[in-house]
Amino acid sequence: MRARHRSLLTASILLAASAAVAPAPARAQAVVPGLTGSAFTLTARADRISTPDGGSFLFWGFAAGGGQPQYPGPTLIVQEGATVTVSVTNDLPLAAGQRASLAFPGQTGVTAACTGGTCTQGAVTMEANAGSTVTYSFVAARPGTYLYSSASRPDLQAEMGLFGALIVRPTGFDAGTPDGRRAYASPDSAYDHEYLFLLSDIDSRIHDVVEAEGVAALDASGLLANPETNYWFINGRNAPDTMAEPGTSRLPTQPYNSMPRTHPGDRLLMRVIGAGRDLHPFHHHGNHARIIAIDGFPKQSAAGGPLDLSHEVFTIQSLPGQTVDAIFDWTGKDLGWDIYGTAAEFAHTCNGRSLDDDPPGSSGYDATTREYCPDHGKPLPVSLPDPLSLTFGGFWGGSPFLGTLALLPPGQGGLNPNAGYTYMWHSHTEKEITNNDVFPGGMMTMLVIEPIGVPIP
Amino acid sequence: MACHWAVAAVVSVLRGVRRHVGSRLIAACAFAAALALHAQAGAQAPAGSIYVQCPGDTNGDAIPDAGADPNVRCAHLTAGDGFVTMADGRRLYMFGFSDITGEPASQAMDIGALAANFPAPTIKLQEGNEFYLNLSNVGMVMRPDLFDPHSVHFHGFPQAAPVFDGVPESSVVVNMGSSFTYYYKIVEPGTYMYHCHVEATEHMQMGMLGNLYVEPRQNQCGTSANPDLCPAGFAPGTKYVYNDGDGSTAYDVEYPIQIGSFDPDFHDASENVQPLPFASMRDRYPMLNGRGYPDTVNTAVMSTDTDRGPKPSQPVHSLITASPGQRVLLRLSNLNVTRFYTLASTLPMQVVGHNARLHRGPTGTNLYYTTNAVTLGGGESIDVILDTSGLAAGRYLLYTTNLNYLSNDGQDFGGMMTEIRIQ
Repeated sequence: MRARHRSLLTASILLAASAAVAPAPARAQAVVPGLTGSAFTLTARADRISTPDGGSFLFWGFAAGGGQPQYPGPTLIVQEGATVTVSVTNDLPLAAGQRASLAFPGQTGVTAACTGGTCTQGAVTMEANAGSTVTYSFVAARPGTYLYSSASRPDLQAEMGLFGALIVRPTGFDAGTPDGRRAYASPDSAYDHEYLFLLSDIDSRIHDVVEAEGVAALDASGLLANPETNYWFINGRNAPDTMAEPGTSRLPTQPYNSMPRTHPGDRLLMRVIGAGRDLHPFHHHGNHARIIAIDGFPKQSAAGGPLDLSHEVFTIQSLPGQTVDAIFDWTGKDLGWDIYGTAAEFAHTCNGRSLDDDPPGSSGYDATTREYCPDHGKPLPVSLPDPLSLTFGGFWGGSPFLGTLALLPPGQGGLNPNAGYTYMWHSHTEKEITNNDVFPGGMMTMLVIEPIGVPIP
Repeated sequence: MACHWAVAAVVSVLRGVRRHVGSRLIAACAFAAALALHAQAGAQAPAGSIYVQCPGDTNGDAIPDAGADPNVRCAHLTAGDGFVTMADGRRLYMFGFSDITGEPASQAMDIGALAANFPAPTIKLQEGNEFYLNLSNVGMVMRPDLFDPHSVHFHGFPQAAPVFDGVPESSVVVNMGSSFTYYYKIVEPGTYMYHCHVEATEHMQMGMLGNLYVEPRQNQCGTSANPDLCPAGFAPGTKYVYNDGDGSTAYDVEYPIQIGSFDPDFHDASENVQPLPFASMRDRYPMLNGRGYPDTVNTAVMSTDTDRGPKPSQPVHSLITASPGQRVLLRLSNLNVTRFYTLASTLPMQVVGHNARLHRGPTGTNLYYTTNAVTLGGGESIDVILDTSGLAAGRYLLYTTNLNYLSNDGQDFGGMMTEIRIQ
């Protein structure tokens, strides 16, 4: 069919308009956001979280210092070998009758001291009474991804939101160098981008009963023993809020987002934490990922050596209380067609060979575009149907090719302004990609593989 | 319940205009900055048409003609609705796929109506294939209020591209009365699965789920198709799960076994055009390959009555049979949408593959292990080999140890179980 061309100016205006109504692309980072250092002060207090279906629920969370609590608590980022102190002040509502404390699964030699007011020795550790402070101290002996979570009535308090992530950087870590960005001592654990996926879940009825009638009524209700989870979170947000900006003012208690971005050929470190009650099969579309550690134990037969015991999966089995580190990458190798297309809109070369060369491809990858050269210059093997036969996704850029936008019907697309390749990363217990009775939502976000050259901070 | 647009005039004017965004940003990388107006690649079929794309096929039945490239594989699936029979006799409404490969494309709307299968038709491929999967959306006969698109998500396909990933948010999906052709160059053997990804929670609970696996090139050792990839001690005709290099994944008989389960309340709500119970979804019909025990061991194709007469609804049984001494490959996958299931065997199972990968480390370190039980969440697969050497003939079991799911709703002693008959 002959193309009907419009002026470039018109096309640009329409594209700009569609981008303007879309959420701004989330800011990403080579390192996960959080508090760094070795001495942390947290305050447990009550506030509210929002869900994308309009829900608003009481939660208890940890605040950094004396600020607003957040869900999940602040990510604590420390160095291997550091002596870490975490003080927890109990500012939970007096009527709740709760003590506050922390457990650090995976850390050994944790000591606790009452450093303000009065404390109670609980079954697991020292707990701060109302208005009081307990301080924990330990040496961060092993690099890795860990959970910290309430040790005072965790059945209730973890449900209410009193947990967070602890990341221990390996000795020699340097976020500014490719070789220094490592999850573990092993060079095999080097990465370009790092993202946290802290998975949690709540039964909103529990929060409503605590708010309206109090903890005693909740205990009498039996709900804690028979929870019926109806909201599922990544980093404290449900889809589509997972993809909103970090720190957005409309989610003041849910500052962390989850929108991983990478480039072809880059290595993306996934730190997956099961912080809730349930198991979740976390399916990352796009490609396999290599599981390099579980619970901070690298998959290797010799310390510091190659990750020879690692293996690849297309779904990460996240268990409650467990952490999984995995490295994901994508190049489109062996798709059998040129990911950048074979037309004039992007007259790229692959290892110096142009689309017009015969043959256009060579072996290996292009150092700049990261294209797999044996696929270079190969056309898409099938024709796509007429647009009237199709329904378009918000992240569809209008073209099958990486970095190429094509115009879409009015109101379609617009969420992917750089024409990246996008992939759903989500719980494959698909019931969990809902917000209560509303589909879609829940434990879901999108990975964006941005064209080379699109900056990812 | 999808959004729909019908602004054909505007669409046809705007269609085909594209530009490359990345090129503007990477101009500094010495790429030719290019903003170009350009037509869609290839010819477009007219809107609202059913057709197949299959190189070497001249009559539209999605079967390459004689003499065509043997590595080209085609299929034509329809996506629509139908009915399925639970092991306690209850009939449930479902959405699903049907295989009409070999039928004229022009007959798809008729043949595909109310013809959904559970599980979806099994797709079996060989490493090295180029697979052209044609999907025609025949609509939901029992739900004329719906105009849902459908898709195929080839779950686990490595190095996937959004255009063929079937995810409606990141791609395009095909409307009723139309066809879409997925292209997959098959380079990695293993046990995958496929399902519709449109309104995933709904369409998957409704049954759009199936087995998909790829046989390794090592099987063709010694032929012109594979002169080099041969394990030690290879005997012609031997089949392997992966390109293991040492013959350790050899097997004699294989069975794809897909875990699934249905919540009848959800299916009834769909049939009766009621609000769908997502939050209260609780599966009460645990199944293997679309059947609860004892239907799992019924080797006949099961049919279910529809408004257009009885239709084959559940073609895949799960009765595992082998002779003593044979090695039995089970390609286990889970595509239910509500929970994890543990599947146990009364025979030891050696795990040799995990998520469509030979279970080895990056330098070849063997990670095989032997167990009696594996736990799979939705979207996970695992390959296990049962070694029956030295076993007495008899009946062994493959069953869930989530014992409450050994039931067909209220009917005790059924559900997620099948038999392994060594005979």
